[in-house]
Amino acid sequence: MNNSVILILLTGFSLHVQAEEDFNNSRVLDTTDRLNGSSIQDAFGSSKDIALKTTVRLLRNNKLIALGGIVHKDGYILTKASSCVGAREAETFDGKKYSLKIKKRFEETDLALYKLISDENSFQVVDWEIENNTSEGSWVLAAHASLEEIRIGVASGNSRKIGREGGVMGVLLSNAQNKIGGVKVSEIVPQAAAYRAGLLEGDIITHVDKRRVKNQDSLIKIVGKKDPGDVVRINVNRKGVLKNFVVTLGHRSVTFDLFNRNLQMSGPVSKRKDNFEMILQHDLPIPKESMGGPLFDLNGKCIGFNIARVDRVTTYALPSFLPKKVITPFLQAIPN
Amino acid sequence: MNLYFPIALLSFVNFIFLHADIVSKKTWDSKTPVNSAELFEIQNRLQELLPQVKKGLVSIEAGDGVGSGIIISEDGLVLTAAHVIGKTGKKMHVRLPNGKRVPAISLGGSEISDAGMLKITKKGKWPFAKIATKDESRIGDWCFAIGHPGGFDKERGIIVRLGRVIGKTEETLQSDSRLLGGDSGGPLFNFNGEVIAIHSRISNEPDQNFHVPIECFHINWDFYQKGELLTFDDLENRGFLGVACETTDNGLKVLNVVDGSSAQKIGLIKNDLLHSLNGENLDSREELTILISSKKPKDSIILEYQRDDVQLSVKVVLGTRPQK
Repeated sequence: MNNSVILILLTGFSLHVQAEEDFNNSRVLDTTDRLNGSSIQDAFGSSKDIALKTTVRLLRNNKLIALGGIVHKDGYILTKASSCVGAREAETFDGKKYSLKIKKRFEETDLALYKLISDENSFQVVDWEIENNTSEGSWVLAAHASLEEIRIGVASGNSRKIGREGGVMGVLLSNAQNKIGGVKVSEIVPQAAAYRAGLLEGDIITHVDKRRVKNQDSLIKIVGKKDPGDVVRINVNRKGVLKNFVVTLGHRSVTFDLFNRNLQMSGPVSKRKDNFEMILQHDLPIPKESMGGPLFDLNGKCIGFNIARVDRVTTYALPSFLPKKVITPFLQAIPN
Repeated sequence: MNLYFPIALLSFVNFIFLHADIVSKKTWDSKTPVNSAELFEIQNRLQELLPQVKKGLVSIEAGDGVGSGIIISEDGLVLTAAHVIGKTGKKMHVRLPNGKRVPAISLGGSEISDAGMLKITKKGKWPFAKIATKDESRIGDWCFAIGHPGGFDKERGIIVRLGRVIGKTEETLQSDSRLLGGDSGGPLFNFNGEVIAIHSRISNEPDQNFHVPIECFHINWDFYQKGELLTFDDLENRGFLGVACETTDNGLKVLNVVDGSSAQKIGLIKNDLLHSLNGENLDSREELTILISSKKPKDSIILEYQRDDVQLSVKVVLGTRPQK
């Protein structure tokens, strides 16, 4: 107990972090029999095999950046678009490596379709579950990034729409009036968009994209309409000197989550985890590099594609109807 | 010794009864499933239990942060974690699954085990969950955690995570159900739909988390319900006996005696079995801690214990905890 630390959060009571010494002297459940142990993985039988054979690893400079699922026998791969920018190579469960060609990006769903460069035309493909009956408490599974094991969990919350977050500069603003009539920057989030552009604490923002800003609300209104990655031009008054900056907006979650204890406990999370028409939430313990891979039910049917790691207990998957809807027209056009 | 005989007999009868009663063991009782039919059984049972057990879950808004808790009586007694309530007699709000806020007040608990209690102060008939009896949960049992990780979110709803009991000691139950801040104080259920533990701490490994076993509540129920809170400060500043114990069926077995402590002065040694303190039976080591830390240094207590087959009774003047 001496090792316990209580971490108090603004948004949630975090839990103490405790070392495991307490259990050194007593019996514990064998790791093979735990939720993600090998015995339980084996109980999934053919569903496990299907997950491993229809999932591929996407690599950039020999480093895993995402997983993908095989959706057509000629070697078409569906994956998470924003995770696999610059993917050059893919590896299948049997260790074979293929070069990759991008075929199409679907921005709305954050999906991308790639093709393995190969003459093979008998790749094992995912078997879509059309009538998706997955509900809270249903088993879900996905391949582990090694493609040697699977990870097991359950659908854990309501399926729902996830709203758009909008881009942010990464500044905290002061509401106090100033003589210049602009908006004063009271704090700069380290490493965030405004910081990288060169803004400093105390700068008074007078214009955003040539539009005069007189208060916080007008500034937030202009910036909030833009997406992460968009560029805004900022005019500031720095101690009487007028300066111009170009700020490439960041993701709200990534920018401000640096302050969030829960995310510090969670490890790296996906950059884009907002603006999805529908998601299915589950609790698989998989890292952000495992996004883009297919998600299966107990019968080995593909019930979705993992699209965002949100925190230690939360992963979003797009339910099967969404990926199927976007790729079907494209796959139907492929000659047999 | 006579005191313990009936208890031993009772559990013996119970044991026979279970054997006669259970024809086939359920998949979720300490068993590792071997095929998809058994996995399906687990899924079905979980989905059957969820709608019912979720009704008693609350989100606790205690000023600085939010945690979770579970209503366990119709008049609104809530089990949670000590670090969620903070102190006794504190006014707070709990949110029901439909988002409605009702007033509550913190009762007692223990910072040692992290068990905590509070009570909804508004009159009403509240939906509540059943709690497991002592020693019902065992290593290997299937279990599931529910809670409000990261705080209440009506759109998202209550979050469930499946796992197994992977370790259990007197003050801690360990599972591989994954937890996050905001889950603190939420319930861990068994596959009979009974609360077996309360979420307390996480480890660095996501698959090894810590809960307060329901046994901690059972043993100290009255103490907690009266609004008494055992704190780490109490341990530092209040009376000190100087024994490390483990709970056995025959009493608290002394594992170690601290050099220079009151326990050593009156001659307690390893393997002595402590039975009662000032006439109160000692059922757990936390109970001993609570009783001792309710006294001041230099207070005296009457300790009854057993060495070999001899019953002994001794007056002990308590000391102070040695400074580290």
